[in-house]
Amino acid sequence: MNMLKYTLKRLVVMILTLFIIATATFFLLAATPGDALSARVEKLPDNVAERLYAKYGLDKPIMERYVVTMKGLLKGDFGESIIYQGQTVQSIIAEKGPISARLGIQQMLLGVTVGLLLGILAAVKKGTIWDYLVVFLSILLISVPNLVFALLLQAFFAGNLGWFPVIGWPSENIWFGGWKYTVLPTLAGCFSYIASYARLLKASMLDVMNQDYILTAESKGLSRKEVVLHHVIRNSFIPIVTQLPMSVAMCITGSFFIESVFSIPGLGLYYVNAVAAQDVPIVMGETVILAALYIIVVFITDILYTVVDPRIRISGGKR
Amino acid sequence: MATAKTRILTPQEAAPVERSRFDAEKINRPTITFWQGAWYKLRKNPIAISAMILLAILLFFILFGPALSGENYIDIDAKVKNLAPNSTYWFGTDTMGRDLFSRVWIGARLSLIIALVCSAIQLIVGCAYGGIMAYSGGIVDNVMMRILEIVNSFPSLLITLLVMMVVGKNVGGLLIAMCITSWCGTARQVRGQLMQLRESEYVQAAQMIGASPMRIITKHLLPNTISILILNLCSSIPSYIFTEASLSFLGMGLSDVISLGVLISEGKSKMSFYPWQLLFPAVVLCLTVLAFNLLGDALRDALDPRTH
Repeated sequence: MNMLKYTLKRLVVMILTLFIIATATFFLLAATPGDALSARVEKLPDNVAERLYAKYGLDKPIMERYVVTMKGLLKGDFGESIIYQGQTVQSIIAEKGPISARLGIQQMLLGVTVGLLLGILAAVKKGTIWDYLVVFLSILLISVPNLVFALLLQAFFAGNLGWFPVIGWPSENIWFGGWKYTVLPTLAGCFSYIASYARLLKASMLDVMNQDYILTAESKGLSRKEVVLHHVIRNSFIPIVTQLPMSVAMCITGSFFIESVFSIPGLGLYYVNAVAAQDVPIVMGETVILAALYIIVVFITDILYTVVDPRIRISGGKR
Repeated sequence: MATAKTRILTPQEAAPVERSRFDAEKINRPTITFWQGAWYKLRKNPIAISAMILLAILLFFILFGPALSGENYIDIDAKVKNLAPNSTYWFGTDTMGRDLFSRVWIGARLSLIIALVCSAIQLIVGCAYGGIMAYSGGIVDNVMMRILEIVNSFPSLLITLLVMMVVGKNVGGLLIAMCITSWCGTARQVRGQLMQLRESEYVQAAQMIGASPMRIITKHLLPNTISILILNLCSSIPSYIFTEASLSFLGMGLSDVISLGVLISEGKSKMSFYPWQLLFPAVVLCLTVLAFNLLGDALRDALDPRTH
């Protein structure tokens, strides 16, 4: 019952949040100087320009446009792209989403796996050269922006050595084809995962190792290996489990900069272009969908906390 | 048990030591404050020292670098374009014959100023908001918390892009765009810390012996929140430097001025022919961020009261 009440309350807040985000996005776009058509109508006769404006409803006053847009959002109809004719938000997400998702998932799988292994290494060998190496490596990795990694990898492995294509992305067999195109973008994006997960797991494991129940386990005569495998790692995964959904949300929304460096036709790059061109329906749609995704993930994370950590209980929404 | 080392004490040695009964209470070791302890730990940490030295070197060049080389970084000079690093132009020149060494440090100067101003805004707004939440409590706290949650769930990069479009691609616009959601984390942390402090025994004790609210704020609440703010500063500066560079790189950030992001994006187009035009600004950016990250990491240990 408590859980149900909590969920309902969160649902109301989530809908309110989405409404505010949509409103803010709409008025920010409306406040931007110029509009999507201004470049196109320059050379057109007046009556054609007027008809173009009327087609996208851009001739109406702003409040009327706002109401129309919000009504459309409620029905899940974001409207048609102004720049790319005939495309809707749904069709664009269906087309570009998998590209960004594949890139993100590959980055995440590689980055999280390596990061967790390094984190375990650093915690188990605390105080040794391995520990310092991992700590230094993770600080080094978060100090170099993805962007710079991407440019350096591109310049060296694609440009100088010519092992991989400089830019591009497989156009057929979206999920499994064209591995050689994906190697460099995946590498460029995985470093930040390695750094953050290695640090997170190491801190969490050290925390767990100081607990009394580890002392108990050791005094029972368990070997160090058994203690680490069965007691430390299991318990130190709590922060990891709650961090993962956030990483998934981040990886689906795409990595703008890496997509830009390698000319990958994903959601991120498309969004940037849509914002630059003031393609209102697309920007509105993408923002609302991505924000919804993010909000849902935050909600799942909060629920996960209570599932994986029995010490936390939901208490009527008061925190 | 008797070994060669055993010897019989002389009566003088065996006599009880003269001491007054007050000596037992005397504290021989000088008391050190929290900050002295933190500073001591920081001084003993080689990573912290090297980070501070690195930061000092970078600051020196950011302040005096352009004056050191004395070459022009604004005027176009077709005779010396795209030179490799040499004795006159230490980092080479760019496509318009401008001294890259000076440009990199001028750019780093702007990037650092933007990061510092944004961090200051983030800390001030975060402290004020978090402070009011913790101070008021009740319904005000609840409403402000809901507002914070809503602002926090804005996809920050998307909102930054949109705001940049509205206010224009200039330094002021970038400041507004980057700060619009960033204060949430600070506000939440400050609120949490203040709430915890308010309930702590020593603050209650201070209240009980009649300390004024002002004294409690300045003597207990503020000093105990400062370490959070310092850590916040050390992690926010790198992230602002990153964001500025990435936005400028996408062409959605600064233009017409010299910043690290602008230089990286200029260098990118010439990457395959004149790699140093990309390499030098990128390396300076990474070193600056690295220095702040290392310092932040060392400070996290030094400022943790559990390790004193």
